[in-house]
Amino acid sequence: MKNAQARIAASALAIATIIAATPAYAAGVAAGTLIENTAQATFDDGTGTTTVNSNTVSVQVDELLDVTIASQDASAVPLNPDTAILTFEITNTGNGPEAYNLTANPTVTGNDFDTTIDEIAYDSNGNGIYDPGVDTVIAQGGATPSIDADNTLTIFVIASSPTGALTDGDTSQVNLLAEAVTGTGPAGTTFAGQGVGGSDAVVGTTNADADTDGSIIFNFTPPPTVTLVKSAAVSDPFGGSEAVPGATVTFTIVATVNGTGSVTGLHVTDAIPADTTYAAGSLTLDAGSLTDASGDDSGIGGASGIDVDLGTVASGNSHTVTFDVTIN
Amino acid sequence: MKTSFLMPILAIASSLPLSAQPAFAEDLVMLKGDVKVVRTVVEEGKERSMLAAPTDVVPGDKLVFATEYHNTGAKAVENFVVTNPLPAAVRLADTSGGFDVSVDGGKIYGNLASLTVSDDVGSARPAQYSDVTHIRWTLARLAPGERGTLTYTAFVR
Repeated sequence: MKNAQARIAASALAIATIIAATPAYAAGVAAGTLIENTAQATFDDGTGTTTVNSNTVSVQVDELLDVTIASQDASAVPLNPDTAILTFEITNTGNGPEAYNLTANPTVTGNDFDTTIDEIAYDSNGNGIYDPGVDTVIAQGGATPSIDADNTLTIFVIASSPTGALTDGDTSQVNLLAEAVTGTGPAGTTFAGQGVGGSDAVVGTTNADADTDGSIIFNFTPPPTVTLVKSAAVSDPFGGSEAVPGATVTFTIVATVNGTGSVTGLHVTDAIPADTTYAAGSLTLDAGSLTDASGDDSGIGGASGIDVDLGTVASGNSHTVTFDVTIN
Repeated sequence: MKTSFLMPILAIASSLPLSAQPAFAEDLVMLKGDVKVVRTVVEEGKERSMLAAPTDVVPGDKLVFATEYHNTGAKAVENFVVTNPLPAAVRLADTSGGFDVSVDGGKIYGNLASLTVSDDVGSARPAQYSDVTHIRWTLARLAPGERGTLTYTAFVR
């Protein structure tokens, strides 16, 4: 009788233990869980109802090694200007914490060009965005931190374009491979004692590795264009507009930048026409006067011509330069 | 529930003289539990299922739980009912074991198809394998010396 009581107590304890472990079942039973089964019989032996319990059989759930990987980029990532940041997500579809070795391979069949892998990093601050110098770098073939069962980790792969000309629309793929650190192999491969809590680790249907491609595209952007429009207005000493000796000619040059991006080091220069004389101090930029001397502002004026340094000009902007000459 | 009726039994047992003990339960019917895992092996290009010792068990594996009963006494017993709470970590695989099931912790038993469970919003839906909490076999009579095995299969969740 004492034995029977002890067994009843043991089975009640077993049930309580299993119930406590319930929350972990979302991703499959957690590695290390004990599955315990006890049957109980009641029967009538003619003197009353008797109850007996079976022994409790127990199965330990071992660690399942599984992983999936998915590109998080909705479309090919454009090189900007010569690097692309690819985003991947690794999911531990096993039932215990596991780390994964990562290998980014820029040489994929069908590539128009192959990139160079600058860096692999994981989203250590969890904001979903690559933060250089903040997100932790993982060496090629190196391991992620341990990812809990059913949890994900965001991985960034930074790839740069090769030297040499690319054609508009050229694409490239980068393959990212994740392999369980404990080991990989055909489903059912076991690694004795290497699972959670000394359990065995068993490879699942994913073979404990997963890889996928991220896409990069080169979008050719034509350089911006600069147009110059020059006009002249004559005013003669008599209040008219006759081109007679002594008349003043005002030249207007409008420089406009069109397209995408900006131009740098833009200078507007012009020579003084033959048989005319530069009118000292007449140089203007966008209706503001410039001195003739060099070095004090962006303009230089004199007998050899004018030179206005517009520096960096973004597309969509225009600047107007004027200067006067008198007809000899 | 279990502990509440344990104590009176304990009291009775300790109050009985030792000589009054021969007719107790384990002397009449023995219950012996076992568990195996279903493995698929390939022999000569053909896949075949076999039962193996339950090692390297992971979620998705199919387990076969067996309870062997044996009336070791000299007389028949009647209304022999074997109740088996399912471990929470498994999901019943099929209902082919000749048992009734319960989806409410062992209060009501019946065919799975006849049972319903309440969903989150309070309306009833048909019960599924994953809802089963207990299974129960009922045998009207066990003759002296009669023995057999009751089995059910379940997947590791």
